[in-house]
Amino acid sequence: MRKIFTLGFFASIIVLLLSVPSYSAEVSKGINVGNACAFTGDAAAPCMEIFNSSQLAVDEWNERGGIHGVKIKHIMGDDAMDPAQGVNVAQKFVSDKSMYGVIGPAMSHIAQATLKIYGGADLACITTAASKPELTEQGYTHFFRVNARNDAHGPNCALFMKRNLKAKRIAVLNEKVAYCENLAKETIKAFNELGITDILQDTIVGGAKDFSPVLTKVKAYNPDVLFFIATAAPDQAIGVRQAKELGIRAIFFGTEGARDKKDFIEASEGAAEGAYVYHFGPDIYSIPEAANYVKNFEAKYGVLSGFGPPSYEAMNILLTAIDKAAKDGDISRNEVRKCVSETANYKGILGFPVTFDEKGDLKGGATYFFQVVGKDFKQVAVMTGK
Amino acid sequence: MDLYLQQLPQQLVNGLTLGGVYALIAVGYTMVYGILFMLNFAHGEVYMIGGFAGWWALHLLSRNNIPLVNAAIVISLMLIIAMGVSGLLGVAIERFAYRPLRKAPRMNLLLSALGVSIFLQNLVLTYQGAEIRFFHVSSLIPESIRTFHIGNVVVSFMRILVIFTTFMLMALLTVMVKKTKMGKAMRATAQDTEAAAFMGIDVDRIIVIVFLIGSALGGAAGTLVGLLFTQVDYYVGFQAGLKGFTAAVLGGIGNIFGAMMGGIILGLVESLATTFFPASYKDVVAFVILILVLVFRPWGLMGEKIPEKV
Repeated sequence: MRKIFTLGFFASIIVLLLSVPSYSAEVSKGINVGNACAFTGDAAAPCMEIFNSSQLAVDEWNERGGIHGVKIKHIMGDDAMDPAQGVNVAQKFVSDKSMYGVIGPAMSHIAQATLKIYGGADLACITTAASKPELTEQGYTHFFRVNARNDAHGPNCALFMKRNLKAKRIAVLNEKVAYCENLAKETIKAFNELGITDILQDTIVGGAKDFSPVLTKVKAYNPDVLFFIATAAPDQAIGVRQAKELGIRAIFFGTEGARDKKDFIEASEGAAEGAYVYHFGPDIYSIPEAANYVKNFEAKYGVLSGFGPPSYEAMNILLTAIDKAAKDGDISRNEVRKCVSETANYKGILGFPVTFDEKGDLKGGATYFFQVVGKDFKQVAVMTGK
Repeated sequence: MDLYLQQLPQQLVNGLTLGGVYALIAVGYTMVYGILFMLNFAHGEVYMIGGFAGWWALHLLSRNNIPLVNAAIVISLMLIIAMGVSGLLGVAIERFAYRPLRKAPRMNLLLSALGVSIFLQNLVLTYQGAEIRFFHVSSLIPESIRTFHIGNVVVSFMRILVIFTTFMLMALLTVMVKKTKMGKAMRATAQDTEAAAFMGIDVDRIIVIVFLIGSALGGAAGTLVGLLFTQVDYYVGFQAGLKGFTAAVLGGIGNIFGAMMGGIILGLVESLATTFFPASYKDVVAFVILILVLVFRPWGLMGEKIPEKV
């Protein structure tokens, strides 16, 4: 008899340990939100902008009295663009019992590495930049994005280059990380569908500071457009600079990471003039609803590029969901995740309403195209993909 | 095939510039190894701090990205300050991290070097931040002489400057090692530290000088790369150190001329490999060559076969 009791006792402990910890807690125990991004390394500048924008949203909520009278704590988790460190951040966030949602991870390869951890803990994540399509195709329900996917950006970019830039011969250089490789793949696929097959594809190493050997290869190929797919703006500044130095006549086309006045336009000292970049968000200065945000951000943190606004929006969506989940004084991650997924027609500062589809993707995401004119970016086209 | 041939002269220019920089870094590695038989893994960080010193010099000597004094003076001062800062840093590293361990097993020295490397990287991260520093160099050189076209080949003024400076520095070092009394003392210490001490050579002083010169050259490389590729951040030392170390091994570690040759070969191989293979294979090609050299000549291209001391 005692044996059966002991067995039963251990069995129940094992069952308890194995079951998903879906406990709920009183709101008064604290509300934390995380921010997972690369705050050190090449992408530190856009990531700090992401953090500061989220912080602005958190501050505004706290000024209004927080959630259910509780002040929100915004916690930074630095992954340094390294998946291994991203996993550490995820584990830290997951084990924080008062953590109810995360902004990020902003990069596809980090998001990929941490999907299972955040998913296993049912912790809602809203990314503001990770665009690899597969991230929302793996059946996880906790992962949302306010930006469009690569399989929208790729075809849109290809179409823009063909139609607007009259390109017939293309060189695609991509960094060897998930987002860049995937975007290169999607773009080349779209080019082939558009009937363009004169494509040179090669790779670059992020942070290498010297791309002249591979750009020499591009010069010999003599393309109409050079699609330079890198994560961070400084690399693209070097790319555009060395392309010009080598006398490459192709139009330089950068990615969303390059929409950064300081680290791309200024850093390239004039070489970027006339270059194009795409971005997942419209020009924030042209949206009336964003005027307050722009004013507050610039007063507190200085220059704004394209990465801040989606993060302000994402944090507001997350906090709205937490607020809804905490209405009864009781809150759980599961509740928060459900509330985020119900986000529909959220009208914030981005200039388009945010609705998540059943996969967690943004409904009706668009690609915005900009050209460098003088010291600024000028929006030249919008294309709506998937 | 034409597509390839057409690229070759340009790739030679690319490779020669990069190789010159690698050679400068490799010399610092090899000089220290020659005398102390240790791999100074902090050397990459010394190079990075040289880059930062050069950036600060440029930053303080210009306003709104326009230099306050003549560009030639600015560039010279950048190099001198970078070499000074890096040289002194090298001496300090030797004094505080290596000298106390000189009698300890080799492994301790190696660990100390790794520790210094991590320490310096984080020191810069703490006080300079993670953001990238940009060298605003375009105002240093007038538009008209910024690039030269020779047929299909484009050579920028900065590349000429970098090639010229690296070769000048290496020539100066060669003369010093071969012709001066100090150089003789250095060679003697490298050959046999104890015997050199018996002959009245102040070995401690020689070691300090080796660290001073090796680190100063690393610092010069850091600033030259800054001028050429226009960016420096706290993490550039890792990759550069790895390449410098590879070049030193390729040439035969401990041999100064081997290091120079190893650096230039490595730079050229990387550039030329990019012509024929996808660019991500350039390191593969470079390391395959390193492995082949080590298989057939374990002592490197110019290193000497030294019988094991008993």
